[in-house]
Amino acid sequence: MMEGALRVVVADDDPDIRTLVSIAVRRAGLDLVADVGTGDAALAAIREHLPNIAILDVSMPGMTGLEVTAALRAQPELSDIRIFLLSAGVTDAARQAGIDAGAEDYFFKPFSPRELAAKLADIVSSSKAAE
Amino acid sequence: MTLRDLLNKFVLVDTPSPLLKQAPTTVAFFAALVLTFTVPSLSFTNWGAALGGIWGIIIATALATIFTWSPKFERVALIIPCIDLLAIGFFRLGTGGATSLFSALIILPVIWIAVQPQRRYIILAAIGTSIALMMPFIMGFTPLESANDVIRGIFTPIVFATAAGIVNEMSRQGRVQVAAIRALAEERDLMLRGAVDYTNRLRENEERLQAADRLTRSVLDAVTEQSVIGTDVTGLVDVWNPGAERMLGLSAPDAQGKRYVHEFHDIDELLARSKELNYPPGETVLNPGFSALVESARLGQPEVRQWTYIRADGTTLSVEVAVTRRVDENLRTVGYIFVATDVTQALEVSRLKDEFVGLISHELRTPLSSILGYLELMRDDEENPLSDEQLQYLGVAERNAHRLLRLVGDLLFTAQVGSSSFSLDASDMEVAPVLRASVESAGPTAAAAGVELHIDIPPQISMINGDPVRLGQACDNLISNAIKFTPRGGTVTVSMKNVKDQVIISITDTGMGIPADELDQLFARFFRASTATRAAVPGVGLGLSITKAIVTAHKGELDVASEVGIGTAFIVRLPLSRPAQSPLVE
Repeated sequence: MMEGALRVVVADDDPDIRTLVSIAVRRAGLDLVADVGTGDAALAAIREHLPNIAILDVSMPGMTGLEVTAALRAQPELSDIRIFLLSAGVTDAARQAGIDAGAEDYFFKPFSPRELAAKLADIVSSSKAAE
Repeated sequence: MTLRDLLNKFVLVDTPSPLLKQAPTTVAFFAALVLTFTVPSLSFTNWGAALGGIWGIIIATALATIFTWSPKFERVALIIPCIDLLAIGFFRLGTGGATSLFSALIILPVIWIAVQPQRRYIILAAIGTSIALMMPFIMGFTPLESANDVIRGIFTPIVFATAAGIVNEMSRQGRVQVAAIRALAEERDLMLRGAVDYTNRLRENEERLQAADRLTRSVLDAVTEQSVIGTDVTGLVDVWNPGAERMLGLSAPDAQGKRYVHEFHDIDELLARSKELNYPPGETVLNPGFSALVESARLGQPEVRQWTYIRADGTTLSVEVAVTRRVDENLRTVGYIFVATDVTQALEVSRLKDEFVGLISHELRTPLSSILGYLELMRDDEENPLSDEQLQYLGVAERNAHRLLRLVGDLLFTAQVGSSSFSLDASDMEVAPVLRASVESAGPTAAAAGVELHIDIPPQISMINGDPVRLGQACDNLISNAIKFTPRGGTVTVSMKNVKDQVIISITDTGMGIPADELDQLFARFFRASTATRAAVPGVGLGLSITKAIVTAHKGELDVASEVGIGTAFIVRLPLSRPAQSPLVE
């Protein structure tokens, strides 16, 4: 839809949150290629669309966001995908588990769609600057 | 009664009393006297001499009685037989002189003299005998008529002296034997006493040892909820209490002397620990598994660590094991003691708590996230701007959603405190910026409530080791509380200063105050002061318990002083990580 924009896959089992994240993604000027409700669907969508960014909810039915992250990191050809976890995160230990699995950062619920869009825009511009 | 007492009592060879020695003479003399009076053919030839003899014997017997009574005269007791000899001499003179029937009485005092230890008394006996026999001639009653009389005066004493010599020798030998027997008896007594003493001591020690053993056993047996395992330095089990039997499903006879303690451990855990301790695989360490278990205790540092026990039936058990060293009297390590507590339940409770916390966190925050997110979208919708009234309604919804979110956060935090999931993300941090941020964010609330908010932070650095987020939460709680409980027109003052090695933060209000009898419950979960409920100030009573937990986790103290109607002051003391620095600007 947007030429040259980074492609994003969003996964969250709560459709309302999924919509909210999708709105923020679009407002950040990114290309939302898929939004799905389970970990397994997320893995399939990512393998199909090979996005630049994946935003995954940690707790989803079936595969959790952490398991999807681990599965993605186990595939070297998918190592370029930047993974962000979405969490109602509580403990430092849980937070560390996501980073250890290979996620780049966390977005914590509740989040302001305005701020999430700004953060995503930052990420895009910093990655562009890096290129 | 010893052997010596027995000898003295019955045999009397040891030290017979003077009275006993005198007794034969006195009795024999009395018999002679009776005979002389009663037998018609016997008569006194010289009354004076006979009376002298009787008196002599009476005196001798009296002296013997006195000397027996008072042993200090023992040395001069020999005078008694001498008196006897003279008395018998007189008596003999008074009953016929050379023809007297009672010459034989002389032998009795002679024997007394003869049994004296020294041989020279034999001569005394001879002289005494001679004097007694020669008495008639000496006293001049009878002239020496024939050589027979002289011979009698010499020969009889010689015979008596010889007899005395024999008696003396026999009694000497007797004494020697008695002395030897006594020495032996004493030696035996001594040995016997020694043996008895030794036996008594041995019995006492044995009793003490048995008591100590019983105590140890009963203590070990009483510990049924923990396993207590003792081993030697190689790990071979030698103590196995009922707790160990229950926990590991193996009886003491099957474990003691037969099994090694590390056989009940998960081998992978032991190997991992060995790796941690840098043991070269199987090289220098005889038994890496056991060594890994006791490494810290071996170095004299008791250790408590979580391990997995493998029971006899192959099932596993999470335990916390305290390992300590056993030492002998020279403080050499002779083994180890392993006290294990089953922590399966504790771990399960902790896991469930974490799981619950996670679930609540997710289930409550997710809808709140939607509410807040969509409210924001509505507020930001430029195409369909909201009216002022609508914006006001939206603000109420947002405020209440945030309030709900805070409540969820507080509940979660309360659940976390004390569980494994509560920890500080601590680093070296400065207190002032955190406090300023809290005051700043409370500004709008204070303004809306008509409460004046003063801040008094001197330009000095207060570095602590802390978690800025948690500490900010604590400050927020205290400041928002102060504003909440202060009526319109009141004042809340936030100040901070370094005192010695502490930074002291105080939040003082001119609010409604807290009754004195409620102050000690103030930090309990869900407690609300009566003044708060009466004034219908909203809240659930978690803020202060959370604040207290945060301050405590920072090794600090939280105190409160309050007076109803006057106000309340909360004081937070936190240890400085660096000594207090002088103000940058004075």
